[in-house]
Amino acid sequence: MQTTHQHAGGGHEHKAAPTVEEITDFEVLEIAVRELAIEHGLFTAEDHRRFTEWAESIGPAAGSRLVAKAWTDPAFKARLLADGTAACKEIGIDWAEPTGFGTPSDYMNFRVLEDTPTLHHVIVCTLCSCYPRPLLGMSPEWYRSTNYRRRLVRWPREVLAEFGLILPPEVEIRVEDSNQKCRFMVLPVRPSGTENWTEEQLAAIVTRDCMIGVALPRPGRTADVHPVHKARHPVHSSPSMRAAE
Amino acid sequence: MSVTSNVDLRPIALLEAIRSEGKSWDVIAPQYGVTNPDPPWKTSLVAMCECLAISGAVPTLDRRRAEDELAQAVYNDVPAPERQLLALVHTMLRRGLVMEGDLADRMRSVRSRLEAA
Amino acid sequence: MKRTKAPHARKSAGNAPARFKVGDRVRVKDLPNMFYSRTQMYARGVSGTIAACTYQDLIPEDEAFNQEGRLEQYYIVRFRQKDLWEEYPSEKDTLQTEFPDRWLEPA
Repeated sequence: MQTTHQHAGGGHEHKAAPTVEEITDFEVLEIAVRELAIEHGLFTAEDHRRFTEWAESIGPAAGSRLVAKAWTDPAFKARLLADGTAACKEIGIDWAEPTGFGTPSDYMNFRVLEDTPTLHHVIVCTLCSCYPRPLLGMSPEWYRSTNYRRRLVRWPREVLAEFGLILPPEVEIRVEDSNQKCRFMVLPVRPSGTENWTEEQLAAIVTRDCMIGVALPRPGRTADVHPVHKARHPVHSSPSMRAAE
Repeated sequence: MSVTSNVDLRPIALLEAIRSEGKSWDVIAPQYGVTNPDPPWKTSLVAMCECLAISGAVPTLDRRRAEDELAQAVYNDVPAPERQLLALVHTMLRRGLVMEGDLADRMRSVRSRLEAA
Repeated sequence: MKRTKAPHARKSAGNAPARFKVGDRVRVKDLPNMFYSRTQMYARGVSGTIAACTYQDLIPEDEAFNQEGRLEQYYIVRFRQKDLWEEYPSEKDTLQTEFPDRWLEPA
């Protein structure tokens, strides 16, 4: 993610993108520990550079494209459900990157969880927050929190309600706890009101939260919105505490 | 969760000093009008975590378990990703992968280098 | 970098037979923890159904110690939430998660 480019409103001058002018201790710390780690032989600068490029290349747009393609191409959807890792290659995502055998967190065994009108999936990793990063980019902080990880498996309907998603009791909620090497993504039900939409239009309503399973796609909903909390909530607060951090 | 702690939770002076400066990205970015949600070093940190896992120096599950404990016990008021960075460095220091004195020295020379540029 | 083969590449290693197939009823064992177990406490002793066979791989405990370990089949097991948690209110809801062969026994 690069620095944003902001334009002076209405003027002819093209202002340079704002940058943070100061060098924080956090920035210095990251560089210092990385240099020492490389000098101590914990990893090589080359490997680090390769993983940094990989981290910069991933984002949720790939997942959105995958879902949109599955919605519009039944044969592709069948291939996706049969072998998720192979189907990703059709949209230019190679789970073998950047090492040739994947990353030590994402591996190479991707599976899609198909929702139906009576079955809704939602994904968690109770152990450590494993996430399908080649398709969705970095996991959001709420997904990584012990709050979400501990509570979703036990009270999924309550946690989903905190995200604004309330499903009727006749819909089965299936929690997928990705505790081993499989990585998962939800293939939501294509919403009504999207007939004859292009893949691009469809991808725009498939947000990250829809592919984790804490939101449903619908026309007009093109962004995930969470309340922003500055204060840290201790994990052992009351159960009624919100899931989003 | 295991009964015993995965990492020595006692605060580390160098990291406490950094934390108390309070210069996390969510505070300073708005001061400069930068709307990027992540600091520029975030991807480098992610890469470092992967590299440490591959070499076996800090396996992923170890790192995440330590991070969970440190987030609760020591760094619970630090926003992500600074919390993740501090937890990682804390873990590396406690494992003896880097030494606090060396890290402090290196931070000084890195800062001089960056400020001279 | 440590050169371990991806589970994707190990699919037809044929090292260990899969004891279970999709639809079988299984119970999660409660083996003593050896540091890096990925078998959740909430699943131990609980019975479920094999939902999928995923891949063959080193069991995590062996891989964590960097040994040439045992290859075995991994499965996704599906549980009724009512069987996992006391007083879970919905009959319909389920949870599924993944286990290596040695953590399962016929139910």
